[in-house]
Amino acid sequence: MDAETRTEAAVDARRPGPARAIGEVLLEVKDVTLRFGGVRALSGVSFDIRRGEIRAIIGPNGAGKSSMLNVINGFYQPQEGQITFKGEVLQKMRPHFAAKNGIARTFQNIALFKGMSTLDNVMTGRMLKMHSTWFEQMLYMGRAKREEIEHRRFCEEIIDFLEIQAHRHTPVGKLPYGLQKRVELARALAAEPEILLLDEPMAGMNVEEKEDMCRFILDVNDEFGTTIALIEHDMGVVMDISDRVVVLDYGRKLADGTPDAVRANQDVIDAYLGVSH
Amino acid sequence: MLYREAGQFKTSYAADQAIFPIRQDQIAIGLMAAVAVLGVPALANEYFLETIFVPFLVFAMAALGLNILTGYCGQLSLGTGGFMACGAFFSYKLATAFPELHIVIVFLLAGLGTAGVGVLFGLPSLRIKGFYLAVATLAAQFFLVWMFNKFGWWTNYSSSGVISAPPREVLPGLFITGTEAGPVTKYLFLLVFVALLALVAKNLVRSRIGRTWMAIRDMDIAAEIIGIRPLWAKLSAFAVSSFYIGIAGALWAFVYTGSVEALAFEINRSFQVLFMIIIGGLGSILGSFLGAAFIVLLPILLNNGMLAIDPTISTALVSHIEFMIFGALIVFFLIVEPHGLARLWQIAKEKLRLWPFPY
Repeated sequence: MDAETRTEAAVDARRPGPARAIGEVLLEVKDVTLRFGGVRALSGVSFDIRRGEIRAIIGPNGAGKSSMLNVINGFYQPQEGQITFKGEVLQKMRPHFAAKNGIARTFQNIALFKGMSTLDNVMTGRMLKMHSTWFEQMLYMGRAKREEIEHRRFCEEIIDFLEIQAHRHTPVGKLPYGLQKRVELARALAAEPEILLLDEPMAGMNVEEKEDMCRFILDVNDEFGTTIALIEHDMGVVMDISDRVVVLDYGRKLADGTPDAVRANQDVIDAYLGVSH
Repeated sequence: MLYREAGQFKTSYAADQAIFPIRQDQIAIGLMAAVAVLGVPALANEYFLETIFVPFLVFAMAALGLNILTGYCGQLSLGTGGFMACGAFFSYKLATAFPELHIVIVFLLAGLGTAGVGVLFGLPSLRIKGFYLAVATLAAQFFLVWMFNKFGWWTNYSSSGVISAPPREVLPGLFITGTEAGPVTKYLFLLVFVALLALVAKNLVRSRIGRTWMAIRDMDIAAEIIGIRPLWAKLSAFAVSSFYIGIAGALWAFVYTGSVEALAFEINRSFQVLFMIIIGGLGSILGSFLGAAFIVLLPILLNNGMLAIDPTISTALVSHIEFMIFGALIVFFLIVEPHGLARLWQIAKEKLRLWPFPY
């Protein structure tokens, strides 16, 4: 079976599944404008993400996709617009608030803790769930020890799920690129997020690695019911796995809808292929 | 006995997360503890205890503190000397103002005071990183030493600016400071005290707090996105680090030298401790001890070694050769393994596991 049919087979098997219900709007971005000095990275972008869906954000280079994710998890504060998350209207999102309320993400250029082992990276992703006091941690007794073991069990499940057991004690700086991407996904999953933001999860991967990553993304969505927003340049992947696609170009929203609708949209075709003048 | 893990199965996460999960390591550490507690005091003479083991343990404590800040949390600091001075003078003031206070409590309180000072001088770390932060911590170094030198209050208005540790006992009859303190008591007290605090440091770095520090060190942006507050993580590292360094300063003044002036904590002291953790291994508890051993022990061993080979050799020549060999060894170890002696030890262990059939 060649690569494309395999991916499609996986998707087809998944799509009709009755368990996978797409629910209410979980996060809504409204009229967001983000400026860096005179540069407008985003101008008046609005879209929503529904619970349980896989939402793709696509667009040519410099379209503002990563800026959009940075706005959603509070790393950039937009000058205008608002974000509604779980019914709560926020002028600005803060990273700590986002993390606490179930928004996790991975980065375009891997941002792992390179000096730490895979396991420690994943455990760090879970740190907001741990509540032992300083004193308990100093003595490694009581709740501190109990939590280490409890959360280790959870992290081991994720490590198992993403098939990185063999590397759990390896410093992540030594792992190959594809595995590092996977560890980063594991770290994000350790927080049990409601929304997972993936910034180019498949950049720089070969076909096999991409297939693996697709499978993991679909499995995460299926088994944990995690809502996923992803940025991706591989159109085959985007069209295959996402439920809805939003297209950005020069910081503006160009199109929004199902993969098929977006694919047929003339503006999108023009943005990607160029227009003759 | 071969260094093998074969047949040692872990059936629980608790067993896998032990500090020494491998049985050979457990045996080795047990033997080392026995030698340190029973062997060293019995075999070493007073000179060796006073000039080698006591300063080694004091420096190991300081290196441990700096390693928490620089090795684990990635914040470069050149204020170690200043913070050691804080510990020394704080404990002097405490010990003389409250003579009935137990000496260990005095040390711990002096450490806490130094932690507060450390947090204050750690504030610039929220905005600046790396070498720029190192320059900012120089402010702590110069200001603190100047302050202890300038104001007589810190030395109880002693005319020479020197503080002398009052005699204090750790247990009834066992003096660890003052003229009555014997080298064996000092050594054993330091051994237990430093070992306990090293265990606490190890527990911290393998728990959530330690991972928070390392996350800030390795990738502060990702750490923030995960929900770590950089402010809190950095300042807590400054606090814990200064706590240890402050206690090291107090031990220096009270147990090691017995009397000290502020100039003993000049910037050279900061560099000395920084070199210890660079050579020993950044981000390693073991590395702090190895680095302290290297810097404290090696010059003395070289010195004594040369005199043993040729007793007629002039002392000037001995110290010149000592500098040359010492410098060459530092360069050699850093070229062989830039990540320090602790990493070298780790590599050796990995090789040993496969020996004699490496693949």
